[in-house]
This record gives sequence, C-alpha cells and structure tokens, in this order.
Amino acid sequence: MGLLALGTALDWPEAQKQAHLVRAWGIKQLLEIWNKAKGKERDALLWGDEVEYLVVTYSDDDPKALLSLRQADILTALANDTALSGKGGCVPELQDAPNSKPNVTLPVFHPEFGRFMLEATPGKPWGIDFKELLNVEPDMKLRRCIAKDHMLPNEYPITLTTFPRIGSPGVFTDPYYPVSGSKLRSQFVPDEIANPHIRFPTLAANIRSRRGRKVQVNVPVFRDENTPWPWKDPTVNYDLHQWPEDDDVRNGAAPDSFIHMDAMAFGMGSCCLQITFQAKNITEGRQMYDQLSPLGPILLALTAATPIYKGFLADTDVRWNQISKAVDDRTREELGEEVGLSHPALNSLCLLTIHQPLNNSRWRIPKSRYASNSTYISTDPRLRPEYLDPELVIDEAIKQELLDGGMDDRLATHFAHLFIRDPIVIFDEDLHELDLNKTDHFENIQSTNWQHMRFKPPPAENSIGWRVEFRPMEIQVTDFENAAFAVFMVLITRVVLSFDLNFYIPIQRVDENMETAHARDAVLEEKFWFRRNLFPVRPPRSAHGSGSNTPNGGVSRPATPAGPVEDEYRLMTVNEIINGTAYARGGEVDGDADDGEEEDFPGLIPLVESYLDSVNVDVVTRCELATYLDLIRKRASGELWTAAKWIRHFVANHPAYHKDSVVSEDINKDLVGAVIKIGEREQKGSGFQGLERDVPALKRLLGVFRRCS
Amino acid sequence: MTKLILSTGNIVSGGPSIIRKSGAYRSNLELTHSLRSSFLAAQQDYAADAYSASSSDSDNAASTNGSGSANGNGFHYSASAWTAHEGGVLYVPRIDWSLAGLQEEPAQYDITAKLFFLATAPVSKRAQYAKEALDLVLKELRVPSVDLLVASFPGMSFDGDCEWEADKLNATQGDDEEEAATWPAVEELYRQGLVKRLGIAEFGSEKLARFLKRVQLRPAVNQINIKNCCNVPPPLVKLAKEQGIDLLVHSDCTDILSRGTLRELLGQGPRGAGVLADSDSGGNGLQGDLAPQWVVKYTAVVRDRGVIENKGYFAGAGLAEV
Repeated sequence: MGLLALGTALDWPEAQKQAHLVRAWGIKQLLEIWNKAKGKERDALLWGDEVEYLVVTYSDDDPKALLSLRQADILTALANDTALSGKGGCVPELQDAPNSKPNVTLPVFHPEFGRFMLEATPGKPWGIDFKELLNVEPDMKLRRCIAKDHMLPNEYPITLTTFPRIGSPGVFTDPYYPVSGSKLRSQFVPDEIANPHIRFPTLAANIRSRRGRKVQVNVPVFRDENTPWPWKDPTVNYDLHQWPEDDDVRNGAAPDSFIHMDAMAFGMGSCCLQITFQAKNITEGRQMYDQLSPLGPILLALTAATPIYKGFLADTDVRWNQISKAVDDRTREELGEEVGLSHPALNSLCLLTIHQPLNNSRWRIPKSRYASNSTYISTDPRLRPEYLDPELVIDEAIKQELLDGGMDDRLATHFAHLFIRDPIVIFDEDLHELDLNKTDHFENIQSTNWQHMRFKPPPAENSIGWRVEFRPMEIQVTDFENAAFAVFMVLITRVVLSFDLNFYIPIQRVDENMETAHARDAVLEEKFWFRRNLFPVRPPRSAHGSGSNTPNGGVSRPATPAGPVEDEYRLMTVNEIINGTAYARGGEVDGDADDGEEEDFPGLIPLVESYLDSVNVDVVTRCELATYLDLIRKRASGELWTAAKWIRHFVANHPAYHKDSVVSEDINKDLVGAVIKIGEREQKGSGFQGLERDVPALKRLLGVFRRCS
Repeated sequence: MTKLILSTGNIVSGGPSIIRKSGAYRSNLELTHSLRSSFLAAQQDYAADAYSASSSDSDNAASTNGSGSANGNGFHYSASAWTAHEGGVLYVPRIDWSLAGLQEEPAQYDITAKLFFLATAPVSKRAQYAKEALDLVLKELRVPSVDLLVASFPGMSFDGDCEWEADKLNATQGDDEEEAATWPAVEELYRQGLVKRLGIAEFGSEKLARFLKRVQLRPAVNQINIKNCCNVPPPLVKLAKEQGIDLLVHSDCTDILSRGTLRELLGQGPRGAGVLADSDSGGNGLQGDLAPQWVVKYTAVVRDRGVIENKGYFAGAGLAEV
C-alpha cells in the first residue's frame, strides 16, 4: 500500500462531502499523466514480486502461537540497519545458489494493513534475462532471513495467508488488547490489530461508516462428522451493547452455518503474492491486462491456501471473497437489498422483490471494491463486444470528461467504472489546491479499487512505464513455491506476447470462475470456463509483416466471421488448462497435430515449454525452471496438494481435532510450528528429510524436488 | 539440378505448429507442421486469388478458398501460382521480400540461427550451403548479422539410460573428420562479421574434446538435448566450464529433414503440396530425385523484453533430373 503521507484524515461525514472534489481532481491528474505517458515506447520488461508475511510468536514451551503486533518496531529496526545484513548467517548460504551475485541489492520492507504483517519486495525490479529469474528465490529467502534477523528470537515471518485463530475468543495477539474498540467496533478483534498509521484505522472506520454497519464477512463452515448442524458460530456474542453496530448480529448478520467475522482485518489481514509487470507501451499494457484477466481465477484455485478462519475449518479454500466482504463499503441502496427483510413470511409469498430505492446513493453496484475485474480495456480487435458486461456501472460524466480529454472509449469506460467509488481516506491537507504534478487523488480512487488485475499508469514524473499488476494468487508456505508461481506468471506473459495468444471469454464468465475457485479443492474438483482456441488467425500474405503481436507493427486482420461467443469457450479442469488435454487424459497425444482434435487444449505449461524451446537458455537455468514448472504441473494434476489441502490434512490428523471443524489452540500452535520448521529447513537449504515426523504429508505438499529431498 | 528453397515464414504467431506436443521430445514436428501450414496458407492466398481471377463463378472460388481439404480429395493448386522461379531457384512457397524485416533496430534483438547439415548432401558443399542459408536469414530479418550461429551435424544425439551412458554413446556418433572439415565454413562467416558467436549441437564430452583440438576458432556454445535437462553428463559440464563454452538446451533432432519426409511434404499424396511428381505414376509436378541439403532455423527475440518476434525455417533441397 502506498499513500502513507501523514495528515489530518477526515471522518466519513466530512470525507463524503469532499468525495466529488477528489474524483474531479483525480480525473484531471489521470488525464495529465495519460497525456504525458501515452506515447511512452519501448520500455523494457521489468517486473517485481511482493511477498507478504504474518509475524507470529512461537516457542516450544509457550502453549500458544500468537500474532505479533510489533510491526512498527520491526520496521524501525529494519530501517535503522542500513546494511540490512543477515546477521543470522543465512546470507552466505544464498551465495551458493546458482547464479546468485555477490552484490545483492537489498530488499525493501513495507508496512501493511495488519499490524501483524510485513511486505517485502526486491530492492530493484527483475528483468527477463533467464538467469536472473533464478535470483528470485534466493532473494525471497534473503528477505525472510533479514526480516527474521530483525525480530525477537520467538518471532517469525511466516507465509500463511491467514492466521488460523485470528478473531478467536481469548488471546491471539501479543500483546493482548481488548476487542470492541471505537474504530473497528469489532467483537472479535481489537482496534490495535490494524496498523496504527492514521490511514488504516480511518480506512476501516470510514468503510464501516459509509456502509452504515459493520462489514459482514461470512464464510461457510466445513461440515465434519461431529460438526453440530445447523451450525451456529459459538463465538458470536449477541449481548454486546457498547456500539450501535453491536445490533448487527441481532439483525441477522451472522447466519447459521457460517463463520461470522465483522472487521476489515479478517480480509486485509490476508497475505498474497502479487506480481507487477512493466509493459513496453500502453497498448501492450492493455493487452496484458486483458489476457491475464481470465487466468486470475485459475491461479487463485491453483494457489489455494486458506481453509481456516477464526478457529474453524471453512468450506472454502481461498481468501478472495473474505477480503471482498471485509472492505465492502456499499450502502444498502447500492447493494440493492430487498426491502422488508424483517418479514420473511411475507417475503416468501411475494414474487416481486422490492429493492432499496436509490434515495441517497447514485446507483446499484453489483460488486465490492475488492472483486474480480469488471471490464476489458485492450484495443485488440479480437476483443468482441460480447465479452463486455452490458450492465457495467460507470460514471457517465467522468467518462465524458475523459473522452473530451482525448481518451478512447474503452479506457475511459474502465476509469469511469473505477470512479463510481468514493474515496475512503481523505487528508484535509491535500484539498487546498490541485497539483497536476502529482497523482495522489487519482491514486486515492485507483488504489482502493482492489480488482484482481490493476492497470497502472506511470507515476507523475513519468519515470517508469505502464504496468499491470496480477493480484489473485495466494501466498505459499515456502519461497520455492512463491518463486515458482512468480516465475511461471512472468513466463506466461512472454508466451502471451510472443505467440499472440487470445484468452478472451466474456468477463461475466471470469466472475463465475472466481466464485468457482472458492470451492474446497476446486483445483481438482471444479471446472472453469476457458477459451478453446488461443491461437491467432493467420494473417494473410498482404499483412504478413513480422510481429503481428505488436499492434503498432502490422495491419490487423479484419475480424473474421465470428461464430457465437458461447462456442469459443468450454468448461475445463485446472489440470487441462495448465497441463493440456492430452496430459489430463493421462495419455500421450497422437504425434500428429493436424488430425484435428479440436477439443485438445494445448495447456499453459506446454506453451511455456514451447516458448523456452525457442529461446536460448542454459542447461542449469532450464533445469531450475523445469523444477518450477514441475511443481505447478503436479499441483494442477493433484499429484501434489495445495496448501489448503495440506492444512486440512494437518488439522484432520491432529490428535486434538475432534472432527467438529474446530481448530483449537493446540492445532493452531502445531500448524504454525510446522510452517516455521519448514521455513527454517528451507532457509538452511538442508532439505526436509526427517521433518515428516513433525510435519505430516509434507511430501504431498512439496514433492521430492532436489531442493526438498 | 534445380534448387528448391522451402520456407515457413514467421511461425511464432502463426498458430499451433509451434506448440510442443507431449511425447514429441527431440523431433522435427515443428518444421514439418509449419512447412505444411506455410504451403497451405500460400495456396490459399496466392492460388485462390489466381483461381478466382480466372473464374467467373465466385461461389466456386470461395468454396475452394476456404477448404484445405481440397488436398485430401486429390486436388492440388497449380504450383505456378504460389511458388516462384527466380534465378534458377524454385521458392516454395514464393516469398514476398517486401514484408521482410523486424520492427525495431537490429541491436534490440538477440538473433540465433541454427544450421542443420544433413546426411543427404555432400560435405564438400557445406561452405556453400552455410552461405546460402545465412544469406536467406539475413535477408528475411533485414539484419547485417546474427548473434549466434549453431552448426548441427547429422547423426548425433544424447541417448541412453543415464547421462554417463549417453555421453559414452555420443563419443561414437557423427563423423569427426566431416565435422572438422566443415568448421572453416562457419568460421569464415564469423570472420566476415556476419556471425558474432559460433556454436555446435549435441557434442558430448569426448567428441567436444576431440573437436576442440582440431579447430581454430572455438565454439562459444554447445546445444544439448537430454531427456531431463537436470542430468547433464558431469564430464561435459566440467569441460564446458573449463573451456568457457555455454551449454544451452534445445529440442531439435539433428536429422531434421529426411528424403522421405521432404517427398511427402511436396508430393501428390493427400497431405502433400503437389509440387513434386509421384515417382511411379509421374503426372503433374517436378520430376527427379529430390534431396534435402540443409535446414536453417532462425529466431529473433527482443532482448530486454523476452518476446520472440520472429521465428521460422528455410530448407534447401536439390532436384536432380533423372
């Protein structure tokens, strides 16, 4: 998260009055940067990964593993240590890694929403020299090592998406704070769970205030043999009367069979793995934004790592919807809630449902600010109008202003959609005059639209290029896995651009896929809409210049006669999408490609391999890359488990588990302990042999790759 | 003797020919598939135009145009429409050089050419072949030089149940004399500044050691293709490191275009291009004994973006009239 300038943050009623001004100025800043940067050309591929950590306290003789709230102290310690040396002696180990350079650029650490979180990024962006891709994993290990070295002996940075017992009754943070503070008004987590920087509590408070009640993060509970049914969340307190919002649970906020959570920290306290790519120009950036969009749900399912909330096993495997709900600031009117929910009997008789009329809100909004993408933005002629959502909500006046400023319809539509939202955190000091040499107001809206892709204009000084951020992946337990997924995504972007692939499906199908990705073990059990034929139509001789992959270069072929959009895609398993139909079928494909098995999908990994076959890669690098691809191949085929599945297995086989969906303190502690042990082994580079005693089924998670055995 | 130049055009955004099939490890499928698609595409683009121009029945022309299966029915487009005779060379398909070139300055690219010398052509002609092949690549990409030229010799591979065995077996493959005799031809291209680095393919540790003793200009690259790229024979790793030779991965076979495959590609069969007459029945098409001489694969990658902008093949063949 950026935007950490200090100032006087406005409470919601005041902020709301200034929302229009911030939008107006934001649009002017956007037009300024767009005009300045739309002609930027030939920027190199630079990319970066972001790894987020939970900071936990753990020691063998302490009965509990807790979230450490010492983020500020840790960041200060990191900031004061200018050399950022790994004191624990892990750095020399890293230099043994293949191709690692002795003069490593030091990583950068950032605060995050949760006061128990850290974010770390590489000290400088990565390029596309293939050997450089091998530096990602050592760098991730270096980050973890440095972070650990600036913590107390009993503190550890771990990469679980969520802390299993966050929000459980009793003590789950160190130090302990009582719940029901004035900012979050949560009955489960204290205000002190959030980063104390004024931006974060204001963000949480203003979302709650705008919404008119607390956020409702309800996730279905996993029903095990002994889980009482219907299940009523035993941790919900119906007798609190300190804040008006304490009424929420008495008004049905906590339905049966759902784990009920009521604060932003339950969502924004999740850790993820995000990758940002710099495009060569705005056109390529828009193309990448669109083409990576349909991959989002697939990578979400494939990286699933979030089966526990608030001390209970959930019936979903990923974090996404919980974050979405945790920052959902929509009013009842915007949500289009039905009127008269308090009369269920009447309601069931009434066929015509009546929604909240729009008295104070401007429109009904179908999705949270944190949600899957709602539109495509590319100038690609292959983007058929049918792929777009005809119901997309946009601010027409803002769109007109962008059009008047010279922006094309599609991009103007995208930003006019993002700008239907109010800014949540406004600093009084920023409202004195409009500074067109900044992008703060634009970024205020842009960076609180948490969609699964983000299209990022260059910063105000125009020093770097147009960028695209890929946001859906869940953080993985080890740096090996995180590096594998990061590198895989980078290779996928090169494949898309080289082979000029087309992943378009209607954007609503991407939404559906995002929901599908939530199901337990969706990676193996569910099917996803995916495009059948990725390949471009052969350009005729007359337009057969080199590189139809770059819209500036060649003449685009006029749209070929297109069949129904519905014929362009079908349901596929993640295995089929990642490994190809032939692999998923378990057989070898007929050596002849021309025999017209149209339904054979090539698979993303074979595509990546075809790309690697066409470029010069040395054997060591190719071997390392092959290991990453193997991990992903096996996760997709089910040969290896997702972290979510492994965690479920861990819980189910723990002696303290009673098959009642409850993840107790003991299980929590041992799970955190197992993850710490895995991390220590990885950091030492000593393999995982012998660890299976403490960490059941570790081989099912990590396989027997050279690093792991 | 008629010279034939076969070409694929840019296959990188040309659809599925480029996709490696599972199980198609060390293969020539990319070459054969992309040649076949190239012929078909040229027939559709050139021959159908000619056909529709000469036909008043536009419905008929359209149906011919849309259907590649015309081949399967034994129908072949007239070769004169989509191939071209220029300076004693038959281009299959014809090449529109006005479309050649890359989008950015040559310096932006990492350009690799890999030249496959074939068993079906005399060793004595290899200097000429190398020049022919490289000239075509430079012309197609409109660049003054390539960054790497890899020479691939016939009859070599890394086969075996383990890396040691593969390395041993490799030592007996190929023909040391021929390889050493060929090398000055590519060295010459280096001296002329047309090539910045030279490479070889599929040399195991023993063969490489022998080769290094005999050549003046040492290869900077050795491409190898082993089933599991993590199992490089240790002696080869050691030797390459000592000699400063990069070991790169590839997935081609050395015998990339056989006489039979070429005949099938160009012949009258259901999947042939109909350029070559059947050996027994004769009929339409060129008569004679067709022998592949060389194949060159070229790749242009935008250096700092890792995007493959252009990739394709040329193949040279000689037709000896009987």
